[in-house]
Amino acid sequence: MLHKAIFIYFAAVCIGSALLMITRRNPVHSVLFMLLLFFHIAGLFVLLNAEFLAAVQLIVYAGAILILYLFVVMLLNVDRESAAPRANRYWPWLTLFGLLISAEISFLVLRGSFPADAGQQPMTLAVGSVRDLGIELYTKYLVPFEIASVILLVGLVGAVMLAKKIKD
Amino acid sequence: MPSTLQEFFTLMTPIYPEVVVITVALTVLLLDLFVRKEQKSSLGWYSLAGVIIAALATFKLMGVTGSFFAGTFLLDRFSVYFKFSFYVACSLGILVSINYLKIEDIHRGEYYALMLFATAGMMLMASAGDLITIYLGLELMAMSIYVLAGFMRRDSRSNEAAIKYLLLGSFSSGIMLYGMSLLYGMSGTTNLAGIHAFLRGADLANPMVFLAMIMLIVSFGFKIAAAPFHMWVPDVYEGAPTSVTAFMSAGPKIAGFAVLLRVFSYALQPLQHDVTTIIAGIAVLTMAVGNIIALSQTNIKRMLAYSSIAHAGYALVGIAAGGPEGVASVMMYVFIYAVMNMGAFGIVIMLRRSGERGEEIKDFAGLGKTNKMAAFFMLIFMFSLTGIPPTAGFMGKFYIFKAAIQADMVWLAVVGVIFSAISAYFYLRVIMVMYMSEPQAEFKLATAPSLAIALVFSLVTVIYIGVYPDNVLNFARASIAAIL
Amino acid sequence: MLKYALIPLLPFAGFLIAGLFGKYLKERAAYAAVAGVAGSFILSVSAFIDVLGGTIIDENLYSWFAIGNLTVNVGFQIDQLTAVMLLVVTTLSTLIHIYSVGYMHGDKGYARFFAYLELFTFFMLVLVMANNFVLMFVGWEGVGLCSYLLIGFWYEKKSASDAGIKAFVVNRVGDFGFLLGMFLIFLTFGTLDFTDVFAALSGPAAAQSYMLLGAEIGVMTLISLLLFVGAMGKSAQLPLYVWLPDAMEGPTPVSALIHAATMVTAGVFMVARCAPIFSLSPTAMTTVAIVGGLTAVFAATIGLVQNDIKRVIAYSTISQLGYMFLGLGVGAFAAGIFHLTTHAFFKGLLFLASGSVIHALSGEQDMQKMGGLKRKIKVTHGVFLVGSLALAGIFPFAGFFSKDEILWSAHNAGEVGRVLWMLGVFGAFLTAFYSFRLIYLTFYGKSRIDHEVEHHVHESPKVMTIPLVILAFFAITIGWIGMPGAIIPHANLFGDFLAPVFPVLEHGVANHGLERWLMVFSVMVALAGIRLAYSLYVKNTSMPDRLARSFKGTYNLLLNKYKVDEVYNFIFVDGLVHRLARFLYNITDVKIIDGAVNGIAGMIRRTSEGSRKVQTGFVQEYAFVMGLGLVVLMGLYYVLK
Repeated sequence: MLHKAIFIYFAAVCIGSALLMITRRNPVHSVLFMLLLFFHIAGLFVLLNAEFLAAVQLIVYAGAILILYLFVVMLLNVDRESAAPRANRYWPWLTLFGLLISAEISFLVLRGSFPADAGQQPMTLAVGSVRDLGIELYTKYLVPFEIASVILLVGLVGAVMLAKKIKD
Repeated sequence: MPSTLQEFFTLMTPIYPEVVVITVALTVLLLDLFVRKEQKSSLGWYSLAGVIIAALATFKLMGVTGSFFAGTFLLDRFSVYFKFSFYVACSLGILVSINYLKIEDIHRGEYYALMLFATAGMMLMASAGDLITIYLGLELMAMSIYVLAGFMRRDSRSNEAAIKYLLLGSFSSGIMLYGMSLLYGMSGTTNLAGIHAFLRGADLANPMVFLAMIMLIVSFGFKIAAAPFHMWVPDVYEGAPTSVTAFMSAGPKIAGFAVLLRVFSYALQPLQHDVTTIIAGIAVLTMAVGNIIALSQTNIKRMLAYSSIAHAGYALVGIAAGGPEGVASVMMYVFIYAVMNMGAFGIVIMLRRSGERGEEIKDFAGLGKTNKMAAFFMLIFMFSLTGIPPTAGFMGKFYIFKAAIQADMVWLAVVGVIFSAISAYFYLRVIMVMYMSEPQAEFKLATAPSLAIALVFSLVTVIYIGVYPDNVLNFARASIAAIL
Repeated sequence: MLKYALIPLLPFAGFLIAGLFGKYLKERAAYAAVAGVAGSFILSVSAFIDVLGGTIIDENLYSWFAIGNLTVNVGFQIDQLTAVMLLVVTTLSTLIHIYSVGYMHGDKGYARFFAYLELFTFFMLVLVMANNFVLMFVGWEGVGLCSYLLIGFWYEKKSASDAGIKAFVVNRVGDFGFLLGMFLIFLTFGTLDFTDVFAALSGPAAAQSYMLLGAEIGVMTLISLLLFVGAMGKSAQLPLYVWLPDAMEGPTPVSALIHAATMVTAGVFMVARCAPIFSLSPTAMTTVAIVGGLTAVFAATIGLVQNDIKRVIAYSTISQLGYMFLGLGVGAFAAGIFHLTTHAFFKGLLFLASGSVIHALSGEQDMQKMGGLKRKIKVTHGVFLVGSLALAGIFPFAGFFSKDEILWSAHNAGEVGRVLWMLGVFGAFLTAFYSFRLIYLTFYGKSRIDHEVEHHVHESPKVMTIPLVILAFFAITIGWIGMPGAIIPHANLFGDFLAPVFPVLEHGVANHGLERWLMVFSVMVALAGIRLAYSLYVKNTSMPDRLARSFKGTYNLLLNKYKVDEVYNFIFVDGLVHRLARFLYNITDVKIIDGAVNGIAGMIRRTSEGSRKVQTGFVQEYAFVMGLGLVVLMGLYYVLK
């Protein structure tokens, strides 16, 4: 019961902060709400016994990436007047549309059910540990793990490629 | 756990082709530092050699079948068929690029590296035995192509294409991950065989199963450019460098179909009934959107973009038909489409000369008089895209529609034939312009040996399959056992 | 099997080389082309020897496509008939390729010419080697295509491209008949393989009949007649012959190979190949014989007064094709094919020799502007004479044996046959007359050549004359392989060789005495024709003009080829086609495209323009449409479940 209550708290704050993040006029506020969002996602990971992922979420996303965002936003010095409008003129319709999608998904998910045994077997304490995760990644998921590294490399190459100054 | 180097090599054998492609890509990035700007084309030839070595490796592995790396990587005839298709698409892509990059003055080593990375991603998609491998392979491919689409940094259209593709691609990836996580939540596994086993015993009326299926259809539909998830295609195809467009219309589309077949004909096979209905509907919509909007295009790249949408629709007809014939016909079709379409793009590339874009259909005016050979090649490719015998395009469509009829979906075949007839209008218009209009100005085509090789290869393949479809068809037929 | 597959594939390889690399090879493209056909010729000889040794091939290479229970294979059948055709086609093709090396020298479409010629040879070989109707049809259409391309080879010349179009249109009529015949065969027997169809002929399916316009027509008759319509188009028989004389606009080697020796005989070959079908229908056989007989005389009468050297030979070709059909129609299939063979050689020779004359006269084709060439171009004169003697059917030249075998068979074929025999003999008289009229006008008498041209008159180079001499040798000797029993008993090698492929239609017993008399009679008739030509065009040269004046009406009618072209133009081109075109124009252009109110095309076009606007370029909207798709698909849950 308590478990459920904590889950609802984290989930609700996640949705709320996400909404606030995309509706703020001031980009600095947006980034700060994103930080809030990341903290609560880390909380969800903890609830699932995935302590390592929670830690990574905080260190990498909240710690590194968001701070970088914040730097960029502040360096760009977007002043409030020229900031983009909050939404385009169709926003009420689009909101309705978003609600429709959520309603449909919720309906299908709520009417549906996970099989009784789903989610039972993997959640042993050991899985969350760094050691077990490492072993899983380097044996069973070796190929996906390596692909992920290549993807990061492509991202790197692409970023350098596209952002490098054009010399003529 | 491998304890010696020998054991390590043995363990790596199944992914040897992927390793070759990625290694070549990495070395291209390194070599790029030492190659002078005028000699960048040597990197292209080097990459091509890498692809050929990978093809040889795949050929050596043809007899090996099995599931490796704890089921995340599959080696079977099905994946081999698609890998060969990717090699063809990638080789043609490299060949049509070499001269084009020079003209556009964007000749850089990263280009070839990214193309190889994309190819590696596709190969992993075809061999994926696990939802995670599918997703990562797909992202590897997509990420490389986002960058390739924006390769002409000075051209705002190219930048726009890249950013649009990236945004919408991420959107579709999100939907895909949602669907995948639902599947994982229900079955407790990301392994395709495990999901298949789970669904066999599961209550299929469960709305969650349906939801997962829809999410996957939407996201794969995005990759293969099926309506209504096709909106990115015209803008991205038009904006991207033409050589990238050529590659993009072939490789990722084939890869999308490989995954589509693997997931829907195998893992989600118990849901066959619903899948058939939905895919048939999407197929009709896709053929309609692609063929009808193509009619009023004046830019050849946009026209070919809509044509690409339409052809995804034809291939979906084969998926809706299902069964061994349906699957084999789709496999054959996507390969044929890739070759003939890259041929057509090769001609478009020829028209690109420094100073002139050469992308409007009216730029083809009088080509039949000024350059007979190029016009003839274009004629054959347009015939093939329309589906006029004895070209490969006819054989491809023929087997698709035949499979639909055999699956008691005569109406679908009829719709397909009607839209094919409509498509004749805009394909044949190009021929009309080439042969009936007077040339507008002095004409000099941007020819190069690499481009000529690609075009002759495409032409020969198109005619060869048109006259002798058995080889490819039998290869496809022999390859489907793995997923049925 | 590879050996046999290579027979058509070698010319195809030659086509690819000459076609793709012609730009770089220039005149060297000819080597590849000649090598291609020569290789094919050697393999054909080897195939012929195999057949002689008793090896009959009927094998499928691979299945091309399958629809329902119709499987269409690419497969070859090499029996006696095919072996003969292979030899004829490859021999002629090789010699004409060599001849063209000299004839086309300096033409700017040199490599293109050889590419087309190779492609033609490929399709012709596919046609004769096919083991089913569909593949045969592929070859049939292919040779047609090459024929149009080659007729219009000098496409800058309007008459040439017009002639190409005319050939195309007229042949469509014939091909439509062929196609319908094929459909009917499939409908009746459920297969299109020659062997299977012929095997099923004795079954119940072949005995069906249809009620057509109140008359009961057997299915075999219907099939045969439809196939024969196809043959009429390709082999230029009444009333579909009009394209062949115009086809002479093409280069002369093309006229020799395609419009004399090989392609135009495809119709004859097809009827012979389907002999088992035709022989089941007396009606169809009689039709074939009558059409053939009438064409033989009809075309010969037009040939009497033409002045263009190639046109005379063209009408003579139509007339000779008529003889072949006459032979087939009276059941003498082997005789028809025999005439096809001899004709290929002596008519190929005549065309090439006339090409040599034209070459010598810098392109002049009007016989009224020739004369006295005998001494200037000796070799050409010699071979021309041999060809004409063979054509006229003088013993012991090739034409004599084959034509006489046909006439004798006709004579034995009952009442109708007797009438056709008379037509045939009359035709032989005309043939002898016009072929020697040509000889006398061209080579004898006083020179009427333009002075400027006269200086340049020269014999053709060796590369052209050697093929001529080889052909002349065949024009003399090739007939001896079909020696009639009336001259040397049991020496008809050709007939014996072909006997296994054709059904036997017995028309009475051999009567060597009568046959010998008829032979003498027909040679006498031919000599009379030559004699008449001699007196009109050598001795009494003013006579033809006076005759023309006194029989003005007849003369003009013949000179204008019975005005058939004009009639066709009036009925079909001006009347029907123009009216149809105007009708279509009114509907499509005015109503649909201009008006664009209710037409489907207009509707689609407007839908297209409209839906194009959805593509705004805003990435948010694209995402919105994707989301919309997701919503609709998720909503399908309520529909499907």
